[in-house]
Amino acid sequence: MIQVEALEKVYPGRKGQAGVKAVDNISFGVHEGELLGFLGPNGAGKTTTVKMLCGLIRPSSGRIFINGIDLLQRRISALADVSAVLEGNRNIYWRLTAQENLEFFAAVRGLNPARLRNEIGYYLKLFNLTEKRDVEARKLSRGMQQKLAIAVALISQSKVVLLDEPTLGLDVQASYEIRQLLKQIVKEQGRTVILTTHDMNVVQDACQRVIIVNEGRIVANDSVHNLLDLFKVKVYRITVQGGLTAEQRQALLAMEEVIIEEESPIQTAISVRLEESQILYRVIGVLESNHSPIESIDQDQNNFERVFLQILEGGSQGA
Amino acid sequence: MLRKGLLLQAFFKKELILFRRYLHNSVGSMITLYVIFLLLVGGFQGVRALVGVGADTLEGLVVGYVLWIFMLSTYQDVWYTVRTEAQEGTLEQLYMSAHGFGWVMGAKVVAGFFTNLIMVAVLLAAALLTTGVSVNLDFWSLLPLVIGTLLGSAGIGFAVGGITLVLKRIDSYTQMVQFLLIALVGAPAGRIIWMRLLPCSYGSALINRVMVGGQNLSQIGFGHVAAMILIGVGHLLAGYGIYKFCEHRAMIQGTLGHY
Repeated sequence: MIQVEALEKVYPGRKGQAGVKAVDNISFGVHEGELLGFLGPNGAGKTTTVKMLCGLIRPSSGRIFINGIDLLQRRISALADVSAVLEGNRNIYWRLTAQENLEFFAAVRGLNPARLRNEIGYYLKLFNLTEKRDVEARKLSRGMQQKLAIAVALISQSKVVLLDEPTLGLDVQASYEIRQLLKQIVKEQGRTVILTTHDMNVVQDACQRVIIVNEGRIVANDSVHNLLDLFKVKVYRITVQGGLTAEQRQALLAMEEVIIEEESPIQTAISVRLEESQILYRVIGVLESNHSPIESIDQDQNNFERVFLQILEGGSQGA
Repeated sequence: MLRKGLLLQAFFKKELILFRRYLHNSVGSMITLYVIFLLLVGGFQGVRALVGVGADTLEGLVVGYVLWIFMLSTYQDVWYTVRTEAQEGTLEQLYMSAHGFGWVMGAKVVAGFFTNLIMVAVLLAAALLTTGVSVNLDFWSLLPLVIGTLLGSAGIGFAVGGITLVLKRIDSYTQMVQFLLIALVGAPAGRIIWMRLLPCSYGSALINRVMVGGQNLSQIGFGHVAAMILIGVGHLLAGYGIYKFCEHRAMIQGTLGHY
């Protein structure tokens, strides 16, 4: 569906200054019906890449094919199959109602709004906006505005939907609703969705595959399942009553696998990465040396946030 | 072509919705323009009493003011749209249109032309009633002349819009364009031939010949009308060329939708 080849973007520097390389020779493909997470720390090149896929930023070199059409050669034809939400709730007209926004942007995308009555009704219902169809967008909550912006992107019937931080600034409930909707769209409509996000819950819950970029380069490109497996590390959290002695603290911190997460005179929490089985016994030995009463030992679940941080810290694998 | 019609219809509908939804604001703008006109007329009559200029010059003032408002609205329909859409975050959506951004702006300008026409017609009626002067309102003669004149202000709008895409936040400079438009309306293009090459000036001179001089198209001569429209098209294309150049720069800098 999307093929990116040796894409590079260098932003020109101001007078006398060197340019800034935002994207450094990246290549990847996205299949039809795939929900791909495009992740990375701030300034990693995510938004630049997405905007290049939308034809809004001109690459310094490389090629982008959408449905086999070269975006740089035939921009309008290639973009016929792409819609995007790049500025979140700012991608809609705040002084138009939900329905008016859907109708206007359908026409902008070359469709006849009069023939889309059913589709407009469907998306209003899907996004739980039916009762708000005649309310100006500026009067909707941020979560509803964000949902409307996504509905506007979907009304164009494009095969590819690009979403830049679709859950940014949303509360837990709204964020959950949006990721459920995204999964539904991919499953029921077979759309290809690429999203950038800092919300690892979205990635773990909704994405099939992730590409992680850092300093403009791809550092990981694999399924969420594989990455979780690859970086599978059992983490135990030990809670101890009271504080630690100086000797205990020194002995624990000497072990690379140990992090003292919180320490107070009442309670101390220690997390231990179980990379070899003996480490847990050594930690317990240190705690028993001063008869520190162990309150509980719990196994933490490995989550994608930890995987993401490990990849960025250097545990990268070939893209 | 049907799809382009739908695009135009969508912009018409949007203009109409916003005009009605924010009617108090729309009416307020018209009252402001009318008050400015009254101040101009007051000042003009004071000067006329002192230096004894003829009554036909008041007709010229009415025509010039209304034409300036029309040109200013058209200029703002282009420049202000680019600026506002960038500021509000919708410019990038319009850039992803299946029609291409040029068509999108074209639809916006045409839809704006009709809403501006209503506003200008009301303002003209109020101006004529207030001053008691009469002008020749030969619609079919005026239509091509007004369109040809507005091509120039749309061209200026595109050029300024393009510069805004690259430089951002240049409002203080763009405000100066409204004074430039006054100078262009008043340029004596009827007498000084090279001034016909300036944006809007040739059209302004010909509109004055119809509205103040009482002539029609055949009396003006189709050669003049054709030349004026060609010059207008030239200014529109030049402005659009500047816009496309700036757009290319903005796409390289990655600042297209920023403001």
